[in-house]
Amino acid sequence: MRKNTLFLFARQGFSKAFAGRANKVLMCVLSMLIVYATWNGLSAYTQQTAIRKTYEREVRHNWEKMPDKHPHRMAHYGYLAIRPKHPLSFFDLGMESYTGNIIFLEAHKQNSANFSEAGMSTGLLRFGEISIAMILQVLLPLVLFFIGFSTIAGDRENGTLKILLSQGASWKEIIFGKSIGLLAVAMVFLLPVIALLLVVCMAIGEASADVLSRIGWLMLFFLLYYAIVSLVAVLISGISRTAKLSLVSLIGIWLLFTIITPRTTQAIGGWLHPAPSRIAFESGIEKELIKKGDSHDPDDPYYKALKDSVLRANQVDSVQQLSFNYSGFQMREGERISAEIYNRHLKNLMQIYSQQNRVSAISSFIDPFIALRNISMASSGTDFISYTHFQQQAEDYRYRLAQHMNELQIKLISNDKKASQQISREFWKSLPALDFRPLSHSEVLRQEWISVSALLGWVLGLTLVVLIFSGKFKSV
Amino acid sequence: MFRLQFISFLRSRLAIAGLMIILLTGCISIFTGRQHLKKQQQSVAMTELQQQQHIQRNVQFFQKEMGLLLYYLRFGLANETSALNALSMGQRDVNSGVQSLTIRGLENQRYDTDLFNPASLLAGNLDFNFVLIYLFPLLIVAFTYNLLSEEKELGTWKLVSAQSSRPVRVLWQKLLVRIAVVAGALVTLLMFAAVVVPVPIDAAFFAAAMIALMYLLSWFAISGWIVSLGKNSNVSAAALLGIWIMLVFVVPGAVNNFLVKKYAVPEAMATVVEQREGYHEKWDMDQQPTLDKFYRHYPQFKKYGQPDSSFSWLWYYAMQQLGDDDAREHTDAMYRKLHQREDASASIARWFPSLHAQHQLNSIAGSGLRNQLLFLQRAAAFHEQKRLFFYPLIFDNAPVKSVDWHRFGMEYFSEEVNLNWLNMLLPFVLTIGLFTGLAWWRLRKSISSLQ
Repeated sequence: MRKNTLFLFARQGFSKAFAGRANKVLMCVLSMLIVYATWNGLSAYTQQTAIRKTYEREVRHNWEKMPDKHPHRMAHYGYLAIRPKHPLSFFDLGMESYTGNIIFLEAHKQNSANFSEAGMSTGLLRFGEISIAMILQVLLPLVLFFIGFSTIAGDRENGTLKILLSQGASWKEIIFGKSIGLLAVAMVFLLPVIALLLVVCMAIGEASADVLSRIGWLMLFFLLYYAIVSLVAVLISGISRTAKLSLVSLIGIWLLFTIITPRTTQAIGGWLHPAPSRIAFESGIEKELIKKGDSHDPDDPYYKALKDSVLRANQVDSVQQLSFNYSGFQMREGERISAEIYNRHLKNLMQIYSQQNRVSAISSFIDPFIALRNISMASSGTDFISYTHFQQQAEDYRYRLAQHMNELQIKLISNDKKASQQISREFWKSLPALDFRPLSHSEVLRQEWISVSALLGWVLGLTLVVLIFSGKFKSV
Repeated sequence: MFRLQFISFLRSRLAIAGLMIILLTGCISIFTGRQHLKKQQQSVAMTELQQQQHIQRNVQFFQKEMGLLLYYLRFGLANETSALNALSMGQRDVNSGVQSLTIRGLENQRYDTDLFNPASLLAGNLDFNFVLIYLFPLLIVAFTYNLLSEEKELGTWKLVSAQSSRPVRVLWQKLLVRIAVVAGALVTLLMFAAVVVPVPIDAAFFAAAMIALMYLLSWFAISGWIVSLGKNSNVSAAALLGIWIMLVFVVPGAVNNFLVKKYAVPEAMATVVEQREGYHEKWDMDQQPTLDKFYRHYPQFKKYGQPDSSFSWLWYYAMQQLGDDDAREHTDAMYRKLHQREDASASIARWFPSLHAQHQLNSIAGSGLRNQLLFLQRAAAFHEQKRLFFYPLIFDNAPVKSVDWHRFGMEYFSEEVNLNWLNMLLPFVLTIGLFTGLAWWRLRKSISSLQ
C-alpha cells in the first residue's frame, strides 16, 4: 500500500462528507444534540451531587449529635448510605436511573437501595436517555453509515471505480483509504467531546489521575469502535451492487447492532438464568434462619444451647452473674449468623445477575456496540459492577455498625436491668463515617476484559477480511 | 387490479422477510410477557402462603404480648396484574407488585423495590410494546419508502401515468395492500396473545388493539407524506429513519429529562431522613409530648391516658406514628410532584404518536406511574386501617387468642381503568388526518404539474 494514495482517498472521503447539504444538516443536528446532552448531564450531575452531599452531611451530623443512649438503640437508629455520583456519570448515564441511591442501614435487617429515578418515572424513561455517550455510540455510527454507504457502491454505479482500479489503485488502498476518511469524520466529533470531558472535569474539580486515565482510555476505545464502524461501512459499500442496497444493508446492520441484539441477548440471559423475585429471595433466607435458630423463639434449641454453654464456661448459673452483657453477646451471634446467611444468598443472586449479563457480554463478539457500551458505562462508574460495589460496601458498613454497637453493649451495659442502660454519646463518633470508595480504573478494565477483547477482535478480524478477501471484490 | 397488487407485493423477498421477522419477534415478545405475568402471579401466591405461615408462627411465639406480636406481623397487599400487562409491562418490572407491611412506620417500608438486574432494565424489555412501537414502524418504512420513487427510478411511473386516468389511485392501492398486510400481522399477533397468555377479549383489550392500529396508521400517514414529496429512494429512507429516531429516541429522551428536571423530587430522600429522625428522637424525649401529639392525631384513644412504666407499647407505637407524621409534609410534596410528572407526561405525549401509544397502553394495562402511585396510596390506607384495628387491642393488651388470625389473608388492589376513547384515539386521528392531507395536497400538485 502506498501512503500517498491512502492519504488521497482518505482526504477525498473526508471532504466529501462535508459537501452535501443533507450531510451538513445531519452534522449540525448531531452537534446540537451533543451540546444539549452535555448541558443536561452536567446539570443533573451537579443537582444530584448537591442534594446527596447535603443529606450525607446531615446524616453524619445527626448521628454524632445523638444523646447518650443504649447502644442497641443506636444500632436501630442506624445510618443512611447515600451513593455518590461518579464525576464521569454526566458523560454516560448508564444504569444510574435504574439503581437506588439510598439504603437504610440498621441492625438485623438488610434493606434495599430505594428511590431510583426509574421507580419515580413515567414509562418515558424506558425509551432510553440522551447522554453524550448514547449519541456517540448510537447516533454517530448511523451518521457515518449515511456518509459512507455510497463510498464504493456510488463509484461503482457511476463507473469511477473501474477507472480508479485501472489507474493502479489497489482494492486495499481504496478500502483502507476511504475507511480512514470516515474515521477522520468521526474524530471531528470525538476529539472535541474528549476535550470537553477534560475541561468539565477540571472545572468541577474532579480531574484526578484516575479520571484522566479513564478519559484517555475512553478515547482509545471509541477510536477502535469508529474504526470498526468505518470499515463495516466501506466493506458493505464495497460488496453491494448498488448504493441503495448498500444503504439498506447498513441500516439493517445498525438496527441489529444497536437496537435488537442488546435487548434480545439480555432477554436470553434472563431466560437462561431466571432470577428469584423479592419474596422468593427473602423467604429463602428466612427459612434458613429459622432452621439455624430463631432468636425470637424463647424456647429455641440453638440459643438455649448457646446460653447453657456460656454459663457453663463461665461457671455461673444465671446471665446476671456474667461479667459481660449477655443479650449483647446473643445479638452479636445472631447478627453474625443472619449476615452470613444473607450474604450467601445475596452472592448467589448477584451470581445469577452476572450470568445474565455475561450472556450479553459474550455476544459483544457478534455485536461490537455491546462491547463499547459496557466499557463506556464501566469507565463512567455507571455500570452493574460499580453499583454492586456500592451495595457491598454499604452492607459491610451496616455489619460493622451493628457489631460495633453490640461490642459496646457487651462491654459497657450491665446485665442488671435496674442499672443504667445508657452509654455516653462520645462513643458515637468512634464509628467512622461511611466513605465510599469507587473501583479504580484498572480494576474496572480488568472486569471488562471480554468487551475489550471483543473490540480488539473486531478490528483485527475486519483488517484480515480486507487483506485476504479484497482481491475477490468486483469492480462492476 | 387490487388482487394483482397484493400478489406482486407478497412476491417480494423484502415483504416476506419483514413479515417473518415481525411475527417471530412478536411471538417471542408475547412469551416474554407471559413469563413476566407468571412471575408476578407466583410472587403474589408465594406472599400469601408465606403470610399464613408467618402469622401462625409468630402467634405461637408471642402469645403474651399483643404489642410485641404486632411489632413483627406483616400484612400483604398485592397490586393485581391485569393480563394486558403481558403486552405492555411498563414499569411493573421496576416497582414491586406486593407490599408487605407491619403496622410500624409506613414511610420506611413502602418504597422497597423489587429485586432486579439493572442491566436488564437498561436494555429494556422485549415486550409487545417494543415490537409495536419500535419494530412495526420500521416494517412500515421498509414497505413504503420507495412506493413512488421505485416506480420513477425503474421508469414505470411514466407508464402508469400514461395508462391510468388517475395515477394516484395506483399509489393508493399499493398503500392499501401494505396497510392490509401490516394490520393482518398485528391482528394475528394480538389473537396469538389472546390465546397464549391468555388475555381476555374485553373492552380493554379492544382499546389496546385500537391504539395499536391507530399508531400504525399514523406511521402509514407519515410515510405517505414523505413519499409524496417525490424525493429519491435514498433520501426518503433517510428521512423516514430520521423521523423514527426522533420519535423513539430523541423526543422521549428529551421529554423525560425535562420532566425529571422540572419536577425534581429531592423530597424522596428527605422523607427517609425525616421519618427516621422523627421517630428516633422521641426515644430521648419525655413521653408526654409524644403522647399529646398522638392523641391530637387520634382523639379516640385519649382514654388510654399516660402509662406509668418507662416503656409501654402505647408509647412505642405513638413514636412510630409520629415518625410518619413528621415526614408528612415531604411525603405529600413528593406525591404532588409525581402526580404532576404523570399528568405533564400524558399531555406532552399527545403530540407524539410513539409516546402517546406507550402512555396509553401502559395506562390501560395498569403499568404506568399512575398505577404505582395509586397502589402506594392504597397501601397507605391499608396500613392505616390495620393500625386502627390493632391499636386498641395493643393498648388494652387484649389476649392474642381473642383475634381470629385466619382472617388476615392477602388483600388486593386493582386500579379502575376508565377508557376515555376520545382522549385515547383523537391524537392519532389528528396525526393521520394532518399527514394524509399534506400528502394528498402534495400529490395533487405534482400530478397537475406533470400534465
